Amino acid sequence: MSLIDDLKALGANTDEALGRFMGNASLYERMLGKLPPAVESNQVMPCFESGDNQGALEKAHTLKGVTGNLSLTPLYKAYSDAVTLLRDNKPDEAKEIIEKILPVQDEFIACIEKNK
Amino acid sequence: MKNTILIVDDMEINRVILAEGFKDEYQIVEAENGKEAVDIINSNDDIAAVLLDLIMPVMDGLDVLKEMNSSGIINHVPVFIITASNTEQTLVDAYNLGAVDIISKPFVMNFLKCRISSVIELYRHRNELEEVVAEQVKTLNRINKSMVETLASVIEFRDCESGEHVKRISGITEILMNAVNEMYPEYNYTPLEIEKISMASILHDVGKIAIPDGILNKPGRLTNEEFDIMKQHTTKGCEILESMPEGILDKDVYKYSYDICRHHHERWDGRGYPDGLKGEEISIWAQIVAVADVYDALTSPRVYKAAFTHEKAVEMIFNGECGTFNPKMLEAFKQSMDKFKR
Repeated sequence: MSLIDDLKALGANTDEALGRFMGNASLYERMLGKLPPAVESNQVMPCFESGDNQGALEKAHTLKGVTGNLSLTPLYKAYSDAVTLLRDNKPDEAKEIIEKILPVQDEFIACIEKNK
Repeated sequence: MKNTILIVDDMEINRVILAEGFKDEYQIVEAENGKEAVDIINSNDDIAAVLLDLIMPVMDGLDVLKEMNSSGIINHVPVFIITASNTEQTLVDAYNLGAVDIISKPFVMNFLKCRISSVIELYRHRNELEEVVAEQVKTLNRINKSMVETLASVIEFRDCESGEHVKRISGITEILMNAVNEMYPEYNYTPLEIEKISMASILHDVGKIAIPDGILNKPGRLTNEEFDIMKQHTTKGCEILESMPEGILDKDVYKYSYDICRHHHERWDGRGYPDGLKGEEISIWAQIVAVADVYDALTSPRVYKAAFTHEKAVEMIFNGECGTFNPKMLEAFKQSMDKFKR
C-alpha cells in the first residue's frame, strides 16, 4: 500500500487533497513529509499545561490550517473544534479534544515516517 | 504587466500548495511573515496579488494590511486573505483594511485560482485605465497652462511691461503661498491648489487689454479720470474671463483667476478698489498677488518711473506707501523675499 492509501485508511480525504495539489501526488507526499516537524514545533499540550491558552490557540490554529490543507480530516476536525472552544474560552474542553486526538495524530505521523 | 504573486504564510506546506497552483501562470515570491512581506511589497513593483495568511509570527496579516494602507499600495494590489480563522471580527477587520476577498483553509484549488485570476485581471484593467487617465490629465493640464500663458501674453502686445512681469508674479505667488502655508497653521493649501493659484495669478492684469493705449502707456501721472478708467482693468478682466467658453480653463483656475483679477488692488484697510473689501474679506490669493504685484512693479522700470532697488521697494511696502497689507502677509513676504529678490 502507498502512503496515500494508508492515509485514506486512517480517514484522510486524499482525493480532495490531490485536487488541491493539482493532481501532483509526489508533491502531496513531499508536503506530508513536512507534517511531523510542523507538529513537533506546534505542540499544543505543553501550552495547556503551563496555562498558556493564547499559545495553545495560536498553535492549534496553525495545525488546523496545515492539516486542513493536507486533508487529514480527523486531525483537521479536532484542531478546528479546539480552536473554536479556545476562542469561546473553554480551554478544558479544548484540551480534552487534543488529548483524544494525539494517538490518532501519532498514527498519521507513524504512517508518514514509515513511508519516507 | 504585473505578473508576480506574493504568498505570505509562516507554514511552508501552505505556501507550497499555493505556489503549486499558480506557478504555471505567475512568478511566485514567498514570505514567511508579515515583515518579510512588507519589505517585498515595498521593493517589488511586479506584485499582481498578495495571498496573505492572518496569524503569523513577527508581524501578522492585519498589520501587513495596515502597512499597505499607509503606503497606498492597497489601492493597486489586491490582497486575498487565506486563513484558517473564521472569527467574524477578524474577517470584518480584514475587509475594512482593504482585503478584496477572504478564502478559508482548506481551500479548493480550482475555485481559488478562478477567484484570484479574475480579480488580478480586473486590477490590471483598472491600473491600465488609471494610467491612461493620468496621462490625459497631464495633457489637459499642459493645454490649460498654455491657454493661460497665451491669454496673458496677449497683454504683452498692449503693455510692454507685462510680459516678464506676469511670469515673475506667478513665481512670487507660489513662493508666498508656500510661505504662508508653512508659517500659519490656519492655511493649509495642497501643492495642487498652490499650483493652480500661481497659474491663475498670471491672468491678474488680463483686463488691461481693455484699457486705451493713451492711458495704459502714458509716461506721466494719470489724471483722476484716467485713473478711474485704469482701475477698470480689474472688472474688465472678470468680463474677459466670463466671456470665455466654459471648460477652457480648469474650474478652480477660473475661480482663482476671477477673484485675483477683481481683487488684486484691494487693500487690508479697505482703501483699495474696485469693491473696497477689507481684511479677511479679501481672499488669501488676492492678497498675495497684490503684494507680489506691488513688489514687482516697484522693482521694474515703468514708462513713468525708473526701477527701485529691492531694499527701497521693501521699505516702501513696509512703510505703507503702497497701501496697507495683512501683517501676516508682510511677515511671510519678509521671511521668503530672498527667494525672489531682484
